[in-house]
Amino acid sequence: MIADQRNSASLQTRHFIFILVAVSVALPLIFKIGLPLKVTAEVQGAYDFIDELPEGSAVIFSFDHDTGTLPEMIPLAEALLRHCFKKNLKVLGLALLAEGAAVGDDNFRRIGNEYNKIYGVDYLFWGYRPQVTVAILGMGENIERVFPADYTGKDLRSFPVMQNIRNYHDIAAVITVADGDMPVSWVHYGQARYGVKVIPAVTAVMATTIYPFLQSGQVAGLIAGLRGAAEYEKLIGIPGKASRGMDAQSSAHILIIGLIIAGNIILIRERRRKRS
Amino acid sequence: MDIGVTVGALLTLAIYSFLYRDNPYYKVAEHILLGVSVGYFVVTTITSTLVPKLFESIIRNGNFIYLIPGLLGALMFLRFSRRLAPVSRIPLSLIIGVGAGVAIPANMQAQIIAQVKATMLPLGSISNIIIVVAVLTVLVYFYFSREHKGIIGAGAKAGIYFLMIFFGTTFGYTVMARISLLIGRLQYLLGDWLGLIK
Repeated sequence: MIADQRNSASLQTRHFIFILVAVSVALPLIFKIGLPLKVTAEVQGAYDFIDELPEGSAVIFSFDHDTGTLPEMIPLAEALLRHCFKKNLKVLGLALLAEGAAVGDDNFRRIGNEYNKIYGVDYLFWGYRPQVTVAILGMGENIERVFPADYTGKDLRSFPVMQNIRNYHDIAAVITVADGDMPVSWVHYGQARYGVKVIPAVTAVMATTIYPFLQSGQVAGLIAGLRGAAEYEKLIGIPGKASRGMDAQSSAHILIIGLIIAGNIILIRERRRKRS
Repeated sequence: MDIGVTVGALLTLAIYSFLYRDNPYYKVAEHILLGVSVGYFVVTTITSTLVPKLFESIIRNGNFIYLIPGLLGALMFLRFSRRLAPVSRIPLSLIIGVGAGVAIPANMQAQIIAQVKATMLPLGSISNIIIVVAVLTVLVYFYFSREHKGIIGAGAKAGIYFLMIFFGTTFGYTVMARISLLIGRLQYLLGDWLGLIK
């Protein structure tokens, strides 16, 4: 009986917190506040690296995520793709997770159309390959051996964008849009073995895994989470979904800080009451 | 209103209904997600890997050497047979052997040598001092051959504080990521579906 009462009380508290979080996110989305956003050094580093690439350089986008993290992955991919297309870089794409293939192809065509880019001439999507290690190492020797055809099944050699591109020597950077530790594999097998520059665009959860590689100079920048995407959108001057979500992010964080403080005050009071 | 957007919105609400309590709507949405994910994965693997890399290589291009990996891959399915299951260990041992052979030097180079090199820093700035002290004290914390007393105890205690800071940072980033997912879903529900976000 007592256990049931406690359970029902904790459920009510839980539901109350869910509603508060939902409201704290929904209100700033509907009524914009426009809080200032500062660009961090790691995002600036990634932006500068891409911005300084000469026109016509080739970059690979690796969509290493599934669909569960799209709210973070799509703003990251969109901001980076817009920058690359704006800079007239050759944009090549692949996916090392199956679900990333459909998302990557859609992103390429949508953002490519925004900049009037032609498939096969300015950009190309190769598709999905399993076995991360084999795929990354294989492309270091010969990309066509790993991807003989593009996502639609056409011979890779038939596309003008693939002229003079054989392996990582012809690639300026690999941008890995990832929700797991795939950037670590890119560092292990792409950067360490072949010296290709790696730029991770990852979910916020993965940021602390990647920071040691940033400090050691093994990655050329880091863009993490919706916040990283918003910073990148600010740098390219095209506000998107990430920028619009930043007010909501700040509002929810303030609420959570408040809840943590309130929870600790309640805990300390209860402890004192028990002692007395 | 786009029917696809409405279906997506209703499935989102069905999943979020679990926050109140487990219910049939949540179960239906969860099963649809699982079914679609597995179906998509199987089709993608067949169309983008098995057909172009294996079947076309053998049948169209006459590369019969591909029969060997094809056969090894097929042997993996013998795991479903109680009598022939040990045969499936042949391709598995090959994968493990090759995987370890490739991974060990790569790990050594990228995770150990490069990372150790990155901690050999001139102690001319506060951030460099913090990096060096944090690495040393955390290593002391994981040194179990001597009792954590005296200078080793003090070092280990400092190591714990650095680890706590790391865990706190990771938790903070996790909260940020989860809120980002909620923002994405609410942008979809309030913006794409209901048109409340201008």
